[in-house]
Amino acid sequence: MSIDGTADLSRIAESTRTPRPSREEGGGIRSSSDVRVELENVTKRFGPVVACRGVSLAVRQGEVHGLLGENGAGKTTLMKVLIGLVPGDGGEVRLGGRPVVVKDPVHAAALGLAMAQQHFSLVERLKVWENVALAHRGKMGRREATRAIGEIGERYGLTADANARVEDLTMGQRQRVELLKCLSLKPGVLILDEPTSVLTKAESRELFSVLRQVVQVDGLAVVLISHKLDEVLEVTDVVTIMRDGSVVAELRTAEADAHRLAKAMVGREVLLQADMAAVGLLDEEAARAASEAPAGSAGTAPTAGTAPSASVPAQPAPALRLVGVSARGPDGRLVLDELSIEVAAGEIVGIAGVDGNGQAAIGEVMSGILSVEAGTIEVAGREVAPRAASLMRAGVAVIPEDRHASGCVLRMSVEENLVAAELDVFRGRTGLLDKKAIRARALELIANFDITCPSPQVPMSALSGGNQQRVVLARELSRDPRVVIAVQPTRGLDVGAIEYVSEQLRAAAANGAGILLVSSELDELVALAHRVAVIHGGRIIGEMTRGRIDVERLGLLMGGRVA
Amino acid sequence: MSPLATSPPVSGTGEGAAHDLLPSPKVETARMVGLYVVSVGVALGVIAVLVLAVGHAPGSVFTALYQGSVATPGALGRTLDDTIPVILVALGTLVAVRAGMFNIGQTGQLVFGAVCAAFIALKVHGPGPLVLILALVCGLAGGAVWAGLAALLYAWRRINVVISTLLLTYVATQVLDYLVSSQRFLEEPSSSPIGALPQSAILPANVDLPHPGAYPSFGVSLGIVIALVIFGAFAVLMARSPWGMRLRMVGANPTAARRFGIRVAAVAGGALVISGALAGLAGSIMLTGEVYRITGGFANTFGNDGLLAALVCRDRPGWLLPVSFVFGVIRSGGNYFLSTGVPDYLALVLRGLLVLALVFPPVYLERREWARRLKAARVLVLRGSRAVAEKGSVS
Ligand SMILES: Nc1ncnc2c1ncn2[C@@H]1O[C@H](COP(=O)(O)OP(=O)(O)OP(=O)(O)O)[C@@H](O)[C@H]1O
Ligand SMILES: [Mg+2]
Repeated sequence: MSIDGTADLSRIAESTRTPRPSREEGGGIRSSSDVRVELENVTKRFGPVVACRGVSLAVRQGEVHGLLGENGAGKTTLMKVLIGLVPGDGGEVRLGGRPVVVKDPVHAAALGLAMAQQHFSLVERLKVWENVALAHRGKMGRREATRAIGEIGERYGLTADANARVEDLTMGQRQRVELLKCLSLKPGVLILDEPTSVLTKAESRELFSVLRQVVQVDGLAVVLISHKLDEVLEVTDVVTIMRDGSVVAELRTAEADAHRLAKAMVGREVLLQADMAAVGLLDEEAARAASEAPAGSAGTAPTAGTAPSASVPAQPAPALRLVGVSARGPDGRLVLDELSIEVAAGEIVGIAGVDGNGQAAIGEVMSGILSVEAGTIEVAGREVAPRAASLMRAGVAVIPEDRHASGCVLRMSVEENLVAAELDVFRGRTGLLDKKAIRARALELIANFDITCPSPQVPMSALSGGNQQRVVLARELSRDPRVVIAVQPTRGLDVGAIEYVSEQLRAAAANGAGILLVSSELDELVALAHRVAVIHGGRIIGEMTRGRIDVERLGLLMGGRVA
Repeated sequence: MSPLATSPPVSGTGEGAAHDLLPSPKVETARMVGLYVVSVGVALGVIAVLVLAVGHAPGSVFTALYQGSVATPGALGRTLDDTIPVILVALGTLVAVRAGMFNIGQTGQLVFGAVCAAFIALKVHGPGPLVLILALVCGLAGGAVWAGLAALLYAWRRINVVISTLLLTYVATQVLDYLVSSQRFLEEPSSSPIGALPQSAILPANVDLPHPGAYPSFGVSLGIVIALVIFGAFAVLMARSPWGMRLRMVGANPTAARRFGIRVAAVAGGALVISGALAGLAGSIMLTGEVYRITGGFANTFGNDGLLAALVCRDRPGWLLPVSFVFGVIRSGGNYFLSTGVPDYLALVLRGLLVLALVFPPVYLERREWARRLKAARVLVLRGSRAVAEKGSVS
């Protein structure tokens, strides 16, 4: 596979560090002097939860070290212990062979450990250069920061507008800024926590070429946490797999394949989306559904629905119809431009597109938090006012893109978050909330959606990133919705969870829901959607049915060229 | 745990990001108790020194504090009378804070409520109990309206509630001053002697709040029952009702709350109005149960006491009743300082010191937490998560 920009980048020879011209091939023996960072027997407990139990890990210089594991396996926690963000309960950290006690991330930075966090560490209101300067704790002025951004940008092919405000950037651009910020500290060890979960394929590739350069030319050691097996296979040299707080496998990437990794991670065989796409599961299912009967019975949803709207009326009206919907973002820019689309009951319609072309806005409009300037929304043939309460009552469930910031209330408990959208259901005869019913419901959802949490009463903030997302998914999908708007629903989930979400979305569709699946993962769209529409500049500019998805044409469409 | 204490002990506007960095609640409580011992000890020590400096025996001052507040049934009754408005004002403040509304205009709302109640009590003629109930209801409504102005400004243009409620307090006290010094409105018709502060007539005895018992034996106005019933009702509502949960969601993450179909401005504004209503009710209970006439200085820092009490128990709503009672003790006991012969300016200083000792520990701990968060934020801006810097959490 070709690596964009490598030729250009290799021109830049000078480096602050000892250059390592090439990696040794074939996974040979390495001297221990190659080891940059070593974690030994690191243990971390959160109350009864053991996030890391005696984890040992050695990261060598000139290597990309993949860290894999299910949601809640303890990957983030392990790295947080390493950079001193949380104190470990036991074990040792050694840097270049010498034991160190990393007091806090500032200290870690001084020791050459830089980490890009799972949910970024950027101040949205500030400009790019200000964020970079902040990383240097005010020891850097505007001019130096801008220069550093320019230099690093040129060196690694990571361009960013130093004067742009972070809040105006797409997720991909933010990730780039986060990386720039880390690199500006000239670290010896770079830790990236799920950097690609918000990136498009092209952006990921760009990131990987940077990673290759920092390990090969600059001789850094890189730790890469990711749930995407194909990229782990593509970019890492060694993979460590964690399950339930312990290391269950460590292997050289050259000896691994996707199924092996998935199995080691989850402890069972997993059906990957790529397989689904290849096997054409959906077609089989559709054929079966067609032969069996009209709608309704194919679902295997484990949810004990509260308000059964499952029996799908055999009406011709689509589950969802958007007609000429326009909306403006907070900055006055048109984010949806007379968007029209229809989703039939039982259908999954995919929306593909380059990030920042209105995908997030679809979710916001359908949640009623972005006001509609023109156009109408119809659910099951009836027009619905574009307000949160009306949309919810009409049976619209939204899995928002920005789950972390607006999909849940981090300070409130898991159980409260699970029932937040249907409080009225839990109103007892006295008008007060029925706590027992809430607890029971929460436990049921926690079991059904396999949410790892110490108890339903802990605050959301104590859950791992992937488990927070499962809570949102559980809340939205368990309401027996008529329409599901799923914006990047598998972002940040482990392979097992992705399999599960895929099943859930299919089951919801089989139960008669119309599903609008917004995703930047082509595999996901091909695996799940009956139809894929392409969004560009806030409007749908093309569409193809599943059978005849033409990747090349899709690419052209995504770029805004009507082909 | 108290019925109100359903939210996790992390306070302030930052989200749970600093969670990892915070000591557990148990440690925090132990530390708080320790700090109280120290701060009260220091306050008593300073008081002793001050009293010695003006040539009196410190012991007599402490005896006065005790004698004047809880030693006799009569004193206890007075202390309870002084506790009533503090409970109501503090409760309202906590309700508003839950929804993220920082109401600091309790004094204005209390005053405006009392003015409304005074109008009814003095100008409406009818059966006593009826007029009394009408006065209390109007007092409550008056406070609600006064806070409602701030709520409207917030809903309309997102005008900062801290500023609007504070400024409205100045307006309310001006209105009060005008009304009680104008014969057409509230000023006592039989004109007071030259030089005396303007005041209203005494309320007709039949509209007074029933006050079983009287000094020197034990007696307390019926207001205590009203306050306790309201406290109980809110404790249940906040902990168990959908409204209470919505309130917390709005306070903790307004965007998510909007996604859940909650009308954020209505819930937050409503909490502010409730807070004002309770302050207005506190003012009318003071008027009809204890003071019986309205004057320019009517508020007598009760609004501030309530605010401070709320500050002390912001993260521990279960402490609200005892803390309010301690404020009552300081007030009624503090009134006895003069009887020991210390000069009146010093009596005020002594009272202030006691209040300070009461407020210091939680404020100190909170400030320290903010300092810690600031550090965490710096650290996290460096490596950590957008979480602390904005909101969200590390994961
Ligand atoms: N602050 C905390 N308080 C309590 N428990 C916590 C806290 N942080 C993490 N945990 C728990 O520790 C475990 C490991 O979490 P961690 O965030 O390390 O998972 P992860 O491997 O990064 O998962 P993901 O892929 O979902 O991000 C989880 O069970 C989580 O609930
Ligand atoms: Mg993680």
